[in-house]
Amino acid sequence: MDVSQYLDIFIDETKEHLQNLNTHILELEQDGENMDTINEIFRAAHSLKGMAGTMGYKRMQTLTHDMENVFSEVRNGNIKVDSDMIDLLFKCLDALEEYLTTIQETADEGTNDNEPLVKGLNDILNAKKGEEPKEEKKTKKSEKKSKKEEKESAKEDSAKAKWRDIKIDDSVKTVIAEGAKNNIKAYGITVYIQEACLLKAARAFLVFKALEELGEVVVSVPSAQDIEDESFGFDFSVIFMSDKPLDQIISAIKYVSEIEDAVGGEVDLNGEEEEKAEETVNEGVPAVAEEKPAVSSAPTQAPAKTNSSSNAPDKKSGKPVVNRTVRVDIEKLDSLMNLVSELIISKNSLVSVAGSVVGSSNLAFNEQIEYLESVTTNLHESVMKVRMVPIENTVNKFPRMIRDLSKKLNKKMELYMTGEDTELDRTVVDEIGDPLMHLLRNSADHGLESAEVRAQRGKPEVGSIFLDAYQDGNNVVIEVRDDGNGIDIEAVKAKAIEKGKITPEMAEVMSDKEVIDLLFQPSFSTAKVVSDVSGRGVGLDVVKSKIEALSGEIEVKTKLGEGSTFIIRLPLTLAIIQALMVVVGNEKYAISLGAIQTIESITPADVKKVQGKEVINLRGTVIPLVRLNRILDLEESDDGNHDMIVLIAKKGDRLAGLVVDELIGQMEIVIKPMGKYAGTTKLISGATILGDGEVALILDANALI
Amino acid sequence: MEELAISSEVTQYIKIRLGDEFFGIDIKYVDNIVRMQHITRVPKAPEYIKGVINLRGEVIPVFSLRLKMGIEEIEETKSFRIIILKYEGESVGIIVDEVREVANVSSDDVEKVFHSTSEGIQNFLSGVGKTENGLISLLDINEILND
Repeated sequence: MDVSQYLDIFIDETKEHLQNLNTHILELEQDGENMDTINEIFRAAHSLKGMAGTMGYKRMQTLTHDMENVFSEVRNGNIKVDSDMIDLLFKCLDALEEYLTTIQETADEGTNDNEPLVKGLNDILNAKKGEEPKEEKKTKKSEKKSKKEEKESAKEDSAKAKWRDIKIDDSVKTVIAEGAKNNIKAYGITVYIQEACLLKAARAFLVFKALEELGEVVVSVPSAQDIEDESFGFDFSVIFMSDKPLDQIISAIKYVSEIEDAVGGEVDLNGEEEEKAEETVNEGVPAVAEEKPAVSSAPTQAPAKTNSSSNAPDKKSGKPVVNRTVRVDIEKLDSLMNLVSELIISKNSLVSVAGSVVGSSNLAFNEQIEYLESVTTNLHESVMKVRMVPIENTVNKFPRMIRDLSKKLNKKMELYMTGEDTELDRTVVDEIGDPLMHLLRNSADHGLESAEVRAQRGKPEVGSIFLDAYQDGNNVVIEVRDDGNGIDIEAVKAKAIEKGKITPEMAEVMSDKEVIDLLFQPSFSTAKVVSDVSGRGVGLDVVKSKIEALSGEIEVKTKLGEGSTFIIRLPLTLAIIQALMVVVGNEKYAISLGAIQTIESITPADVKKVQGKEVINLRGTVIPLVRLNRILDLEESDDGNHDMIVLIAKKGDRLAGLVVDELIGQMEIVIKPMGKYAGTTKLISGATILGDGEVALILDANALI
Repeated sequence: MEELAISSEVTQYIKIRLGDEFFGIDIKYVDNIVRMQHITRVPKAPEYIKGVINLRGEVIPVFSLRLKMGIEEIEETKSFRIIILKYEGESVGIIVDEVREVANVSSDDVEKVFHSTSEGIQNFLSGVGKTENGLISLLDINEILND
């Protein structure tokens, strides 16, 4: 079977499972007894193994298989979780990630067998062989429990055995009767595929393949062709002829991953099926038959737990096991977004046409335009929402990173995260990972002091790093905070002077903020020791440029001895914004509405000069004036006698008054990139196409302040 | 046969005019040719960038070929055109005085001899091609679009 068409899905899902494993193994380290965590890990490892097997990645399969064995022993209480084991497991995850990268690049898993890891896993398994009796006790206990539950589920099972509904026609009856003479039994089996399964046909194919190794499928409902075309629900039934016992057949089916359940029984042509042979198996807890014959003697253990976990959402984790989702290529979403953009542009032209037709008192026409406006706005919002994903996927890898750093740097630290469910545009989420990682490393390496220094300062031994994300109006704010040393302004100054960036005289008069800004200049690192964690001069300047490329901004708050906070502010969406259209000189410009606080009318007499710069006093606040016509190299149109229109723009806690000649109004605009030739000035953050087809530039208020 | 095929390699050029001189632009870079339209000025951009235009919903920068090559600008005439070039994945428009025709130039007829009157222009040329309608200077698009 050709599996290459499933490669994308495989890669996506493997990533998810790996992330899942990373998260849960971290949890396991904290609480080695938590059964929910262990089960979750087991499930993820098992799915990984199944997927790798389906795709024919043998090395990946071997490694995950051994990991699964270890987890299974942990779950059975035979192995205690210790720090060495966690380290080894993390190494395994890294190895799996390596496989995945290789697969992504070459569609092949490469040739690294990772033998030391496999050996390590087997050592763990072998070392604990001596504790068998304990297992027995436990098994008994759970068996007792599960028997009770099985009774309850038995009723449900008989409803699930859809194979009983198969109409057996005469020709098949003959075959079955023939078989009976040769001691070949006929079984009816209904197989349930997990509803989250994306490769239904492939799973069914594997089930058929497994069955054909054991006997012969005589009837299948739906037909084999329908199953191949994926035109079936989440279950299918077969009449199967084999001389093997039913539990062996069911085990073989269950060995295929993403099989929710398999129900079977012997077909009795007299109309009564042999209920005794009935059995349920479940993919969620496959340890039972899959592992060793020793365990398969207690197959009833399986259904008890998984029935509850697969039928109802996993209560402990608080997340539904099955999400009803459709995977969509991000490019399709991009093109959808582009179409919405075009629609908004053409709506804007309609609005401008409607406005320009003199004496157009056609109410119906205007009504329709207003209706169109609300539809396009809603459409835009919906498409935007579709593109929004929680930052969770990106930040989830950080706890693991901090753990590794903690070992590497030999500092004790803990990462606290909030707001992982904060949503951002997919493209932003993809891009924000690296800058955040940089900042976290920075905090761990430069921010947090060594244990001795912390003790001297009376701080707790374990350093804290916080990652907080939240939505603030049209922005999403992500803060990286630590309770470490904070930025040493004097050290930065000394370094800057040493590097020749500033002169000692300049250093005298620089404000703290200006000094901190130096950190964001290329090749500036204050770490006294260059480590491989951070501090090769490719640090904060990269972070800054990346964030600015996403139309975001970054600021720093710091207090020496108490810690620092890096605050990243990102726009919710990149493509479409509400803007204020203004005229400067004879040119039209758009300014993001989000940046503007108020619009004021100022008389020339209100303009004062402070240190040669124009300022206004607005309700007690002194605000510097920015004359846009001068900044944009336009001729002075103001004769100095008229009132001025001033937009009060805000950036962080700084304000500025932008002087414009005329206000056109508020408009929803689509941001178009300017390209590398024209997009060189920071004043202009992009361009947009107006209703009349003309291009207007978007002024970046942040760059003006 | 094979030798013949190699020697008669013909490249097509769009023949354009600047002042009274003719230049050729390799047709493989040319995406489109449009009439002059409203160009939105971009502040703080280099002088030769006249601004940006809207081409079917895309915002595209427009160069003045004259200014880029150090030739004085003249007042816009009706024959002015913007040639849209696709270069390294980006679209760029360049303003020329006039677009004449497509010229076929055989690689045999390209010489590295420059006849241009102005010294500065030579940096932007890759050679001179002989055609039945006279000589055209072949523009080096790399030089023109890279700073």
